[in-house]
Amino acid sequence: MNFYECVKVYPEGSSSASRMALTARNLGYKGIIICNCDPTRIFMLPAAERVKGIEIAVGVEVVASNVRALKSRIGALRIRYPFLAVRAATDETVHIASEDPNLDLLVYPCDVRRPLSIATARAAKANQVSIGFDISPLIHLRGSPRARWLQAVSRNLQLVRKFHLSCIITTGARSHIDMRSPRDLAALAEVAGFSPEEAEVALNRHEFLLAQNRRHWVGPGVEML
Amino acid sequence: MLRSRRRYMAFELETEGPAGSIQPKDLMGEFAASQFSLFGDEGASRNRIKLIAFNGRYGLIRFSHVLVSQTRATLAAIHSIRGIRVAIHSKGISGTIKSATEKYLPRLSKLSAESDGRRIELKDVSGCIIRTQGVKVDLCPDDRDKSVGSDTRYLGLTSFDLSGGHEDADGTADGL
Repeated sequence: MNFYECVKVYPEGSSSASRMALTARNLGYKGIIICNCDPTRIFMLPAAERVKGIEIAVGVEVVASNVRALKSRIGALRIRYPFLAVRAATDETVHIASEDPNLDLLVYPCDVRRPLSIATARAAKANQVSIGFDISPLIHLRGSPRARWLQAVSRNLQLVRKFHLSCIITTGARSHIDMRSPRDLAALAEVAGFSPEEAEVALNRHEFLLAQNRRHWVGPGVEML
Repeated sequence: MLRSRRRYMAFELETEGPAGSIQPKDLMGEFAASQFSLFGDEGASRNRIKLIAFNGRYGLIRFSHVLVSQTRATLAAIHSIRGIRVAIHSKGISGTIKSATEKYLPRLSKLSAESDGRRIELKDVSGCIIRTQGVKVDLCPDDRDKSVGSDTRYLGLTSFDLSGGHEDADGTADGL
C-alpha cells in the first residue's frame, strides 16, 4: 500500500524535512507531503531529497487574512504546487474552501458546536474537495475534551458517508515524534469510528490526488499530453 | 477451561529524553492510563496488556489475540510519559515471544546515544547538539521559540541538513 502523510517541517514545525522523511520511511510510508504555510522558507529541502526510498512532495497549507485573499491565493498556488490544503478556521473559510475545485483538502476541525454542514458536504462533493480528519486530538487530549471530539468526528463521519465524500486521515505532525505508522493511524481511526476499509482508503487518497494534480490539465476533463 | 490465546507485539519507543530516562514501571503505567482512557474498565478487562520486556528503547508486550487494533491504538495514543515527549511505534506482532524477538527486535541496538556538546551555527538555526544517532541529530536551539507550537524541546535534524552548511561547521564526515 502507498501511504502518505501531511507534515509541517521546520521552521513551522520542529523537525527538518529530512528528519521527517527518515522517520516516515522507517514507519512504512511511501511519501510525505510537506504542507507548510510558506513553502519557500522550508529549511534544507534538498537535504530531504537525499533520503532514499521515500517520495517528498511539497504542498501548501493555504492561509490568508480574509476569504477573498484565500480564494485568489488558492488560484495562484494551484499551478505551482501539486497539493493544496486549507485548515477550516471560520465558517467563511469553510464556505469558500468547499466551493473551490482547485482545492484538494479541507481539514475540518471536529467541534460539536460547529459540525460539518449539509451545504458544505454537498459543495465538497460537487467540487471534489476531500475532507481531512486531523486525529491528533485523539493522541493529545484526554477525558471529556476527547469524548467531545469523538462525538464530533462520528457526527461528521455520518455526513461523509451519506454524501460519499472522500476523506483523508492525518496527524498533522509538526515533529518526528508526532508521526505514527499507517497501521497505528488506521487503528486510531477505527477508535474514532472509521471502518478498517475507510481508514485504508483515507490513507491512500494522497497518492491519487498527487498523481491527478501532476498531470497537465488545460480545462475540466481536458489534458495536455 | 481453555487458556486464552495471546499475541506478542514488539515496539520501539522514540523519546526526546536521554536514553534510559523512561523506566518500565512508568511505561506500564502509561499503557494502563491510555487503555483505561480510551476503552474504559470494561475494555481493559478484556485485554490485559502485560509488559514482557523493555530495554529503554525496544520492548515486548503481551495482549489478547482478538484485540490487535485496540492494542495498537492504545500504544499510538501515548504522547508523553512523565512530561517527556515520546512516540511508541509498533514493529510487529507474533504468536510467541521467541518469534517476535527474532523477527522484530534488533539484536544489536545502540542504546547509549552520543552527546558531545558540539555547536551548530547555520543561517536559519543555531544551537547545541543534544545527541546523535546514525544520521539523526537532536539539537537544542538557542532561540527556544523555534520549537513553539509543536510541544517539543529539541529540533529534529539529520546530518544531511548540516553537511555543506555554514563555514563554521567543522567539516567532519557526518557534516557536524
